[in-house]
Amino acid sequence: MSEKTENSKNYGRRDFIEKGMRITLGLGLAGVAGITALKGDKGGYVWQLDPFKCVRCGRCADYCVLTPSAVKCYHVYDLCGYCDLCGGYLKPDANDLGTAAENQLCPTSAIRRRFIEDPYFEYDIDKELCIGCGICVEGCTSFGNGSLHLQVSHEYCVNCNECAIARVCPADAFMRVPVSSPYLIKGDFTVGTATGSE
Amino acid sequence: MGSIRRYIIVSLFAFAGLASLVAWMATDPTRDFTASMPGADNRGIEVAVEENIVIGEFFALFENDVVGGYTGKWPRFRGVNYDNIVTERQDIKDSWSDADPEIRWTIELGEGHAGAAIYEGRVYILDYIEESREDALRCFSLSDGEELWRRSYGVHIKRNHGMSRTVPAVTERYVVTIGPRCQVMCVDRINGDFIWGLDMAKQYGVEVPQWYTAQCPLIDGDKAILAPGGSSVAMIAVDLNTGEILWEAPNNIELSMSHSSIIPGIIHGKRMYVYSADGGIVAVGAEGDDEGKIMWESKVWNHSVVAPSPVILDDGKIFLTAGYGAGSMMIQVTPDGDGYNVESLVEYAPREGLACEQQTPILWNGHLFGIIPKDGGANRSQLVCVSPDNVQNLIWSSGTVRFGLGPYIIAEDKMYILSDDGTLVMVRPDTKSYIEIGRKKLFDGTDAWAPLAIADGLMLLRDSKTMLCVDI
Repeated sequence: MSEKTENSKNYGRRDFIEKGMRITLGLGLAGVAGITALKGDKGGYVWQLDPFKCVRCGRCADYCVLTPSAVKCYHVYDLCGYCDLCGGYLKPDANDLGTAAENQLCPTSAIRRRFIEDPYFEYDIDKELCIGCGICVEGCTSFGNGSLHLQVSHEYCVNCNECAIARVCPADAFMRVPVSSPYLIKGDFTVGTATGSE
Repeated sequence: MGSIRRYIIVSLFAFAGLASLVAWMATDPTRDFTASMPGADNRGIEVAVEENIVIGEFFALFENDVVGGYTGKWPRFRGVNYDNIVTERQDIKDSWSDADPEIRWTIELGEGHAGAAIYEGRVYILDYIEESREDALRCFSLSDGEELWRRSYGVHIKRNHGMSRTVPAVTERYVVTIGPRCQVMCVDRINGDFIWGLDMAKQYGVEVPQWYTAQCPLIDGDKAILAPGGSSVAMIAVDLNTGEILWEAPNNIELSMSHSSIIPGIIHGKRMYVYSADGGIVAVGAEGDDEGKIMWESKVWNHSVVAPSPVILDDGKIFLTAGYGAGSMMIQVTPDGDGYNVESLVEYAPREGLACEQQTPILWNGHLFGIIPKDGGANRSQLVCVSPDNVQNLIWSSGTVRFGLGPYIIAEDKMYILSDDGTLVMVRPDTKSYIEIGRKKLFDGTDAWAPLAIADGLMLLRDSKTMLCVDI
């Protein structure tokens, strides 16, 4: 009994270190190989959506493998009219042009509205709250300058091999874009000029 | 022994379950929520400074002459008959060659959507000069676009989807304008002499609409008819010669000024001024003992942003439409004892029938023509034709041909539509189908939304900063 215990102690200590080092090295190599293989497989591309093709169908909120979705609303301040009556922030025929919940279009109150000076208001997106439903984008596109638009946020996106939203996007708006320029922000390009690998 | 162990295990599970339930019940799942309350945007922290506005204080005369021989008139918003149909003979081209339509001249204007009025060779535009911060009534020669004179006054306007957005009203003697912040000015049509001014914002406590005033003044005989939609007054008449207020119709139902304009029309044999305000609709008597009196008013049509004007149809029907999700409504006005009854015949969302966001539909040959807004579903941005008997049934649409928020007008047997980007499309108005007969990209336009004006075979059109005179 005591002999077995001593043998176990000697074996376990030495082997544990050796085995641990081997496993760590093996895992490291496998990881590097895996990442390399993964990157090679995707050609250094990530998923993105063309805001000019987007039809604000709402599927980005429902079909992403993440909850909430990795698709978020982005605001191009250069395009914004800074209106008091903002079609992306307020419900049509809102009771009041204000911040009360009943007046807001966003279901999660992810848009922050701030008075700048008469008659201008600034709108910011809280990405932690945004679920990518595109309701605000629809309002902004219908009644405003279209400065609010959806983008895949690479802070959240896990870059699935086959994007679950891309599979169901009715506008075929999803494409792979180079990692070096992962966003398609309005103002940086115009209708029909977005390019990707697909 | 075994049963005691089971009893202990069951008890532990029961206790753990109960503890979890209590913990779950005691925990507020909304503890991390932030309530969206009014006032979180810090609105109103800026202290308003009252501005001393002296209407008509400046005048500039330029050394240009008007060229004679022009007799045509497009004297106000929506033309002589308030229907956006040109009545004068224009000898319009049936088709366009590559060179057509020829651009006669171009002028740069302040950012905005103000349209032109034309009267016998003179063009009148209420512009906003950003450099000098002035509302400026500018008179140009129709023949060459040279400026003849300018009557202006200082007023502080900030860019807000453009600054100017009204069309002057012109008679043989006078020109009346309404500025972005509700200042009314009347000047001599020929030499620009100042006649009178009225600050509706100051006098009637008008709340300046979102994106500034778009109401175009109405001149009826020797009176200017205006709709302040102020705290106590809905509509007023001003003596054109003196500036004296002739009557004030009360604001009984908390109307406020919209982007719409007053349209006169005959309803059940009586002439009335109809105004689609923010918050409701009102009709004021236009003649005889009824003049200046509220004939009927209603909040059945109640929206916070209204730009198109009412379309007065036969038998007391009025078609109303607005953008920003409002949709449209057909109301029926019927005599009821000493007054009138107003009821909604049909109300629907923009995707369910004819609706317009900025422009007013045209009633032509017993049919209504208009462009569906961008929130109009599958029919968005299409020119459509409907019968007033069923405004939800599209007789035809332009299908894949889509337009923007730009204006449209009918002259002779042609309809012209200006897209937001500066493309002018010529269509044959028809109640059976969409017939396009020409199109031309005239300029790289932005927000080309101002009403069109046609006289002497020339069309005036503009985008946010540039006005063109085009030979049609």
